[in-house]
Amino acid sequence: MASNEDVLVGAVAYSANVVPIWEGIRDYFRDSAAPMDFVLYSNYERQVEALLAGHIDVAWNTNVAWVRTQRRTNGEARALASRDTDLTFKTYMISRAGSGLDDLGSLKGRRVALGSRDSGQARILPMYFLDRAGVSAADMDLVIFDSDVGKHGDTGKSDLDALRAVIEDTADVAAVGSNTWEALLAAGDDTVSDLAVTWASEDYTHCNFTALPSFDAERADPWVMHLMAMNWENPEHRRILELEGLKAWKPTNLEGYESLVQAMQAQGTADHW
Amino acid sequence: MIGVSLDLTLRLIEAVNATPAGSTALIDVTGAEQVTVAQRWAEATGNTILTVHPDAVEVLRGRIADPIAALPADRRPGYRLWLYTNFHCNLACDYCCVTSSPRAVPRIVSAEDTTELVRQAVAAGVQELFITGGEPFMLLDLDERLLASLPHLPTTVLTNAMVWQGERRRRLEALPREGLTFQISLDSATAELHDHHRGVGSFDKAIAGIRLAIDLGFRVRVAATLGHDAGTAEIELVDLFDSLGLDPDQRVVRRVAQQGSANEGLTVSRASLVPEVCATADGVWWHPVAAADPSMKVADSWSPLGEVIDAVRDEYRQHRIRGDVLASSFPCA
Repeated sequence: MASNEDVLVGAVAYSANVVPIWEGIRDYFRDSAAPMDFVLYSNYERQVEALLAGHIDVAWNTNVAWVRTQRRTNGEARALASRDTDLTFKTYMISRAGSGLDDLGSLKGRRVALGSRDSGQARILPMYFLDRAGVSAADMDLVIFDSDVGKHGDTGKSDLDALRAVIEDTADVAAVGSNTWEALLAAGDDTVSDLAVTWASEDYTHCNFTALPSFDAERADPWVMHLMAMNWENPEHRRILELEGLKAWKPTNLEGYESLVQAMQAQGTADHW
Repeated sequence: MIGVSLDLTLRLIEAVNATPAGSTALIDVTGAEQVTVAQRWAEATGNTILTVHPDAVEVLRGRIADPIAALPADRRPGYRLWLYTNFHCNLACDYCCVTSSPRAVPRIVSAEDTTELVRQAVAAGVQELFITGGEPFMLLDLDERLLASLPHLPTTVLTNAMVWQGERRRRLEALPREGLTFQISLDSATAELHDHHRGVGSFDKAIAGIRLAIDLGFRVRVAATLGHDAGTAEIELVDLFDSLGLDPDQRVVRRVAQQGSANEGLTVSRASLVPEVCATADGVWWHPVAAADPSMKVADSWSPLGEVIDAVRDEYRQHRIRGDVLASSFPCA
């Protein structure tokens, strides 16, 4: 039975599996010192607004949603925890094997497939890294897949669309998040022998649980402590962890957001939608 | 031309990403190599290949809790092993699930084979042996089989307790008490119903057999098999069980299954029964209640027993998993 004292966590319904994931996490917290419930939003914009309005205590945010929340709160929002996989997130540029493309500079004049405009990994950061390497949008023939706008690339759909473009030879290179690339590698390296990593970004931080200062330590600490205690070796925990794509919850590495902060600033990304 | 494995992996990711946990997606595959790729991918990504079809694999989103782990330990397939030592019997009960009678072909498992079966059972992790028939004590040398099993496995013998005379009585008295239980059939508290199904005079002899076994210091469990005509027999049996001093775990009441000689009763199948691996001279069966039903036969030989038990476990998992998936995808409104 839900209580008004429950920690209320917001999440975006990027797929049908969000329900079993959050029901599983809610059940895991049921008998803890910090029982919780969850609220689902259809997109990250709506969720950030709800956090700022005090409708929820915690928002499970993408990196883009985190940066926007920081901007809206003058840097006062706090990151409570991330997935282990969020701390070593990367963007890969994937081309056909043997293409001769070997760094970002070699992409001048090429067809570059990018994902949704609000995806950190498949659009915002790749454009930033390319620009930093001296390759502007005007230097490339961009093939854009705005497949899941509002979900910040969570569905992986635009990454896969970009990869398909490379396979079908309508693009020379595709920007994809490391989660998508690792899902391809899961069946073994030989599966992707037709593809090559042209370039890999530095690690950056992806999602985190975002809270405002009003969510004080008395409520936050037991919740975070219980979250961190989820155990990969426990089959019931593992079922949830695998669906959400992690092996362990970790403290968020805030330095890992620096490249995205700069990217969103350089690209003039609005604070509001 | 892009590699088929890459195309398959992309299709797997796309399809499974769009599939709710607990539901399945069908992915076209060509050949065993692609099945292997799909299996590797599913294992590494926390998903499950539910079924391999000739030209497709059915992928379940997420992992499945092992349905066997959800069973009480003593109900898990492979915990108990059943052995039909023989199929002939001094009685010809009208509901017998394997049509035993004095005229049944005996199909005897020898003492030597029993010794080997017990050896393999212990190696396979079996915890308990149940010997049944036919009437096991029709075998004069049943004691040799018991002497082979008792040092290794607690053993229960299902018997009508009616043939313990002469040499059989002498051998009975010499049996160890430790680890040995006799499960004796008694279908009602008075002779009428019991004798109707099991033969005139059988009730009095069964009662005498129960008392003899108890008097000789054996652990006794009394088991009733009730059909549609049982009426109040179960209630009346309680008083009789009490008068015999039987604890709750020494009483078994089960319903007639529509198997063997029984024209009516509970229907059973591999999909509806938790298996209890059952060895006979003819092979291995899903459950002892159906050890003459061709559809319930799982192997032509009980050796190697460990592999047979593993196969039964795998099939049970498939039944349960398939059942769970069907159940969760069949809303009526």
